[in-house]
Amino acid sequence: MTTIEKPRPAAVPEPTGRLAGLAPHARTLRVLGGVLTVVGTYLPWATFVLNDGPYPEQSTLEFFTVPYGVTGFRLHLLLFGIAAIVLALAAVPAKGRMIRALGVGVIAISVVNGLYIVGEGGGLGAITVADGVAFGAIVALIGGVLLVVGANAGGIEPQPVWNWRLNPWVERALLVVVVVVLLLLVAAVLTSGGQGGSGYAGGVFLSFLAAVGAAIAALSASGLLAWVTALTERHRLYSVALLLAAALLLPLTSAGTEYWMTVAATIGVYAATAIGLNIVVGLAGLLDLGYVAFLGIGAFVAANLSGAAASTIGITLPFPLVMVIAAIIAGIFGAIVGSPTLRVRGDYLAIVTLAFGEIFVRSAQNNIGGLTGGSNAIPNIPPVSLFGTDFNEGVEIGALELPPGFLYYVLIVLIISAVMVVFANLKFSRLGRAWIAIREDEDAARAMGIRTGPIKILAFLIGAMLAGLAGAFYAHKLGTVSYESFRFLESVTLLAAVILGGMGTIPGAVLGASVLFVLPEKLREFSEYRLLLFGIALVLIMRFRPQGIVPDAHRRAELAPETDPAIVAAEEKVAAEAKGEKS
Amino acid sequence: MTDAILNATGVTMRFGGLTALNDVSFSLTEGEVIGLIGPNGAGKTTLFNCLTGLYSPTAGEVALRGKQLPEDPAKVTELGVARTFQNIRLFPSMTAEENVLVGRHCRMKQSPFSSLLHGPGFRRSEAEALTRSAELLEFVGLTRFSDELARNLPYGDQRRLEIARALATDPSVLLLDEPTAGMNAQETEATRRLILSIRELGVSVVVIEHDTKFIFTLCDRVLVLVQGELLVEGTPDEVRGDPRVVEAYLGAPPEEVEAQIHAGEQTP
Ligand SMILES: Nc1ncnc2c1ncn2[C@@H]1O[C@H](COP(=O)(O)OP(=O)(O)OP(=O)(O)O)[C@@H](O)[C@H]1O
Ligand SMILES: [Mg+2]
Repeated sequence: MTTIEKPRPAAVPEPTGRLAGLAPHARTLRVLGGVLTVVGTYLPWATFVLNDGPYPEQSTLEFFTVPYGVTGFRLHLLLFGIAAIVLALAAVPAKGRMIRALGVGVIAISVVNGLYIVGEGGGLGAITVADGVAFGAIVALIGGVLLVVGANAGGIEPQPVWNWRLNPWVERALLVVVVVVLLLLVAAVLTSGGQGGSGYAGGVFLSFLAAVGAAIAALSASGLLAWVTALTERHRLYSVALLLAAALLLPLTSAGTEYWMTVAATIGVYAATAIGLNIVVGLAGLLDLGYVAFLGIGAFVAANLSGAAASTIGITLPFPLVMVIAAIIAGIFGAIVGSPTLRVRGDYLAIVTLAFGEIFVRSAQNNIGGLTGGSNAIPNIPPVSLFGTDFNEGVEIGALELPPGFLYYVLIVLIISAVMVVFANLKFSRLGRAWIAIREDEDAARAMGIRTGPIKILAFLIGAMLAGLAGAFYAHKLGTVSYESFRFLESVTLLAAVILGGMGTIPGAVLGASVLFVLPEKLREFSEYRLLLFGIALVLIMRFRPQGIVPDAHRRAELAPETDPAIVAAEEKVAAEAKGEKS
Repeated sequence: MTDAILNATGVTMRFGGLTALNDVSFSLTEGEVIGLIGPNGAGKTTLFNCLTGLYSPTAGEVALRGKQLPEDPAKVTELGVARTFQNIRLFPSMTAEENVLVGRHCRMKQSPFSSLLHGPGFRRSEAEALTRSAELLEFVGLTRFSDELARNLPYGDQRRLEIARALATDPSVLLLDEPTAGMNAQETEATRRLILSIRELGVSVVVIEHDTKFIFTLCDRVLVLVQGELLVEGTPDEVRGDPRVVEAYLGAPPEEVEAQIHAGEQTP
């Protein structure tokens, strides 16, 4: 370590309102919350042996058969509980902030597992005191609530800022570790709970997601995540290369089966599309409610040029060329849809795009021009075939056997990378600044010499091209293209992915798309509640984190509460400057 | 006038039944600073909007160097007329530097392809724009805030940033709408000096202001707009002494207002 700077002394804000009275007991509450969480872990969670999934040994009186040994969600709870106790007693900066994150995690884990055991197990008896002991979920839940209350009662400190500088090579090595952990974490989240649809699969997945989310939130609260982010910025190209390598290595992890490769490729399609939408919505600030139509146009173009029996155009073109054509045609439609932006703004534009999306779906449903197959869809699209290899087959590289779907996965990783480069390059350019200026204040942008009409149409055109590109991939990967995949709901989901992840950022769009398109896969037994859960998640995010999960540095300032360290720092700087000015 | 750079002839603007501007004509000479004063609602901002293409006048025309200006703010700016706004209209979640870079937009030679590919041409044009923005931020004294979000800047500095952003479009005419509103005496004086040094750069300036002392000490010529009509036009001394101005402008007995104007009192 070459330089260590102490974090800014964090002034703990006084809690106000109802919690003010609890302030003297904050530490007690925190410790008690941690202890109850640990106790809850060791209590039985069901009064009988559950006969499905990984739950049996973890939800019964395991303590008496395997002393101290807990696995699965109870292990997560145990770790969180111990971490909370340690944090409550130790002198750690921002401990209230971290304990709050852990507490929310404990609540989420106990609610998810409690509900699952009740729902899938034997009814309410599973967590009542019917047979004397089975109320682990309730105790852990109370522990979680106490943690949150205790954290708030003691005051939530601003997030500390660390400015450690290490030897550049140590920093690079550290980044490798971080990326490897990230890779394993992604693989673990993706595969946790197994393929959706059976018994407790959804519960295991949700519980694990909550655990990982809470752990990351706690790390973020400690300021370590921000420090790692600063590290990646110091080694920009290196980090990008590492991430790309990690993405390509995913097939070597536990996620390296045909099923998970297919899920990952599907997520990839929506992630690429969401990045395209992010140009229109996140950068240029134009609300597009029919965006998925461009994915559809790309897919139908590719389907018609694939040589599938159902396509009326009898020509077959090589895939790279098909991608280009699909992108161009989608782009042309994008420009057409964008042209009303010359006249209408805001809500009216949203309605125009909504109408376009609807026109597309209806036309495709009616097999317009014989190009979309109507309700029969266009089935049996042959797989992508390059260099004499069909992409739907497994490959063997020496001793390494890679599952079918691996090649598609690699292809979509490359497509997403390309889309990211497009987005990032444009964002930091004359064009990107013009888009952001239009988003911020269209009249002022015009007064600054920006010809807003063509610039807005360009946003639609480029966004649509990226979706068209993803569409071409989608057609071949799925093998079937039907109008049903491009309805209003999909547009809304994509939009939600962008908003949820964080407007105007790449990781935000990717994360948002991953979450929103993995969930239905994992929670198949809840397909009828999908929209409900989706809505609840959105409302919660907008309530507690309006700037999205990974906010844009600029937008964060706009929407985040006053505790955001970047803003606090900025305000202090301004205040200091102003003071210097006066004296 | 041969060296007139901006000419407005018979500009009339009606909003339904309200005539905000009635047959306003004036010309701005190269290198001149004109002050535009008048009571609230006189139509000063409306005149700026007509000059910059934000409004299309009901009648009359505006010409820059003898060429009629288009009715598109972006094109007007490209031709060399830049402005600031009475109610500050920066891009709040962009940094100060980015705000000025946006002002550079119409002077940058960077096609969308170049934006996409980040080739050598891109780097050249970005470097040029960054250098220019840095110069301008220094010119208005905001270098230390260049990475700060515009929204976080103190009020007076936001007004300066708006001026820097307008200057980034390389204007030959700069229209400033109440550049010292909300500033203290010290900041107002700094702004006065800033406008004088802008004139040194060869830019002609029109300033709207309520602070008469500011206008009379800064401007070469003063226009008085009352209820949409150009009432008086002349040097600060002529305008200050004109009884019509004194009466129509403040609607009070001449002596009182006279005293007020000389005292340099600000109207709200
Ligand atoms: N877009 C518009 N639609 C209708 N009326 C308008 C519009 N813009 C301005 N007006 C009216 O025109 C008149 C002149 O307004 P303007 O804003 O030009 O006054 P001003 O001289 O700039 O006043 P102030 O000193 O308060 O800024 C006012 O009566 C105003 O209400
Ligand atoms: Mg005005």
